[in-house]
Amino acid sequence: MRKAWLVAKATYRRRVRSTLFLLFTFGIPCLMVIVGTVVILAQTGGALPQIGYVDQTGRLAAVESVTVEDETLRPTLYTDIGAARQAFRDGDIVGYLVVPEDYFEGGEPLFYGERNPNARLQSAMTTLMRQGMLPDAPAWILNRLEDPSNITYVARETGERVAQGPGLIIRVATPAFLAMVFIFSVFTSANQMGSAVVREKEQRAMEMVITSISPRQLVTGKVLGMTLLSLTQVGVWLLGAVIGIGLVLFGTFQMQDLSIPWSALLWGALLGIPGYFLYATLGTGLGVIAGDKQQARQLAGMLGFLGMGPLYFMGLIINNLGGPLGVGLTLFPLTAPTITLFRMTLSQVPTWQLGASLSIILLSLAASVWFVARIFRAAMLIYGQALQPREILRALRQA
Amino acid sequence: MNESMHAVEVRDVSKAYATVQAVDDLSFTVDRGEIFGLLGPNGAGKTTTIRMMLDIIKPSAGEIGVLGGPMTEEKKSRIGYLPEERGLYDDMTVLDTLLFLGQLKGLSSATARERAETYLREVELWEARDRKIEALSQGMNQKAQFVAGTMHEPELLIIDEPFSGLDPVNTRIIKNLLLHMRDRGTAIIMSTHQMQRVEELCERILLIDHGRRVLYGPLEEIREQFVANAVEVDLDGELEEVAGVRRLSPRNGGYRMTLEEGVQPETVLQVLVGMPEVTVQRFERVQRSLDDIFVQVVGHEVENAEEEVA
Repeated sequence: MRKAWLVAKATYRRRVRSTLFLLFTFGIPCLMVIVGTVVILAQTGGALPQIGYVDQTGRLAAVESVTVEDETLRPTLYTDIGAARQAFRDGDIVGYLVVPEDYFEGGEPLFYGERNPNARLQSAMTTLMRQGMLPDAPAWILNRLEDPSNITYVARETGERVAQGPGLIIRVATPAFLAMVFIFSVFTSANQMGSAVVREKEQRAMEMVITSISPRQLVTGKVLGMTLLSLTQVGVWLLGAVIGIGLVLFGTFQMQDLSIPWSALLWGALLGIPGYFLYATLGTGLGVIAGDKQQARQLAGMLGFLGMGPLYFMGLIINNLGGPLGVGLTLFPLTAPTITLFRMTLSQVPTWQLGASLSIILLSLAASVWFVARIFRAAMLIYGQALQPREILRALRQA
Repeated sequence: MNESMHAVEVRDVSKAYATVQAVDDLSFTVDRGEIFGLLGPNGAGKTTTIRMMLDIIKPSAGEIGVLGGPMTEEKKSRIGYLPEERGLYDDMTVLDTLLFLGQLKGLSSATARERAETYLREVELWEARDRKIEALSQGMNQKAQFVAGTMHEPELLIIDEPFSGLDPVNTRIIKNLLLHMRDRGTAIIMSTHQMQRVEELCERILLIDHGRRVLYGPLEEIREQFVANAVEVDLDGELEEVAGVRRLSPRNGGYRMTLEEGVQPETVLQVLVGMPEVTVQRFERVQRSLDDIFVQVVGHEVENAEEEVA
């Protein structure tokens, strides 16, 4: 195991310092933060602009001012659309809201402006409508009307509480996000492993290394090193995501509303870590079989395609979470980590299925390490050529 | 199998692929403390033989003993190997590469660092220790590979074309290191096409062709077998013809004499001594180079080679 660990350390250190890895690992969160910041600033930035409004119903009370997040909007009431349009053309206002005559029968208000109103202006216009309809209502009623039925759902069996709003969104989105990260990282990992093995074959370092260490130790070390590397990458991305989401949601909801599906996350990790090793081992095997990097990438792409299986059938699976397709994909080692996360978030998964899924992944991992180690010896002596099926069979026979 | 004598014992080994008999009933031994030349033309089966010794591939038949028995994982740390088509990790520094490969051979981190420094200084690469492998010249790369294969001070070193890409200065450095290792008791199997290096370094050789053993034994004895039927003579006086000599060729103030079939050099010497008009100053049998022997034995350009010797 010491030698496998040495290989893992060397693999990790070689790659973690590479420019490509650093760019990819830190570049993606940075890019997401930049894009998110731009979007948030566009939605919330700047003071509330001057707008006008026209009440064609004749039933709204005049509103002198509306306060949103410590900013005050003083809308100008116009008697007809023509006057509002002229003020807009003269540049007195940046836009005007028209409340149609049939508003109380279901008609929708219209906003005319140079650009779409940002989130704060939208909020200000909603408050304006409420104040216009209930001019004499006390502040506590108006405040409550902003969010009259934020329901918290309590699960009968577990007592788990899930509140509507950002908390619920986070609860549902977390497994989906983790599943996407898993798929993305295993796809990257399988690709990188394949290319790395092809590169080692090209560098002709294998034959020297293989006389110091057994193929099984070498494969284990490589997979371990690459997995640690990917966990580092995923860790940075998750940390970035948590910080980013935290910043966006800071102050908008109470922490007690945040409901994290710990059970789903625990099983996601239990299945995801060996599942990740499995993908990395298979990626190594594809690199062993491939003749060049391009071929390795193509084969890794096919493997990644398999990993995305749950996404293709998501519609069918959600309609029948415990159905044959859902159960089948839970027991299939390449899709088990992602599908289990989804299923556990949305419903209960029987314990026997979780146990069977974990056992199948572990058995598949052991079998794939054995298989890759066997063909490794045969393939490393062949430079620039793909391993043919008969050579694979011969390597397995000689084992 | 005697562990104290033979570092390697190959007995009746064959290796067949689908349509090719790569190695055919091959037997030889390599002793501790000797440099053994494993020779043969391209495709003769040398690399296959080496890979079988190292248990990279399995023989179809026969037995191979390495360091006193079958190859095991434990023995990998006692063996050094430099394959012909070798390379190191381009994106690692020289020192990191050596520390990694040294530790894979069972050295502790501290010992690997100590040995890496010692050997890098010996091959004059210490100043380049922090350079990436990809930034090294071919000769420097070769030396780094040599250190990588030997820094764990193996009991058996198998080395394929150790001098390719080296200038005379670096060739001498590597030669001295090999001799030093041999004197320390390391068994060295050297495969090369540079016959001059074999003549300089090897005590015994094995020449294989088409997977079969064609020459095997001490180098001096093999050269005796292939001595040319010719002599070189320095003398005072002129010669036009000599009894028992088929061809007389002036050369560097003397003569090269190709003898008739069945005529011994001693007979010609007696004839020359008996000639009053000449005084013999030097009389020497023509030794054939290993290069000539190689060419003759493996059957390529034999006639040309004989003409050259004659």
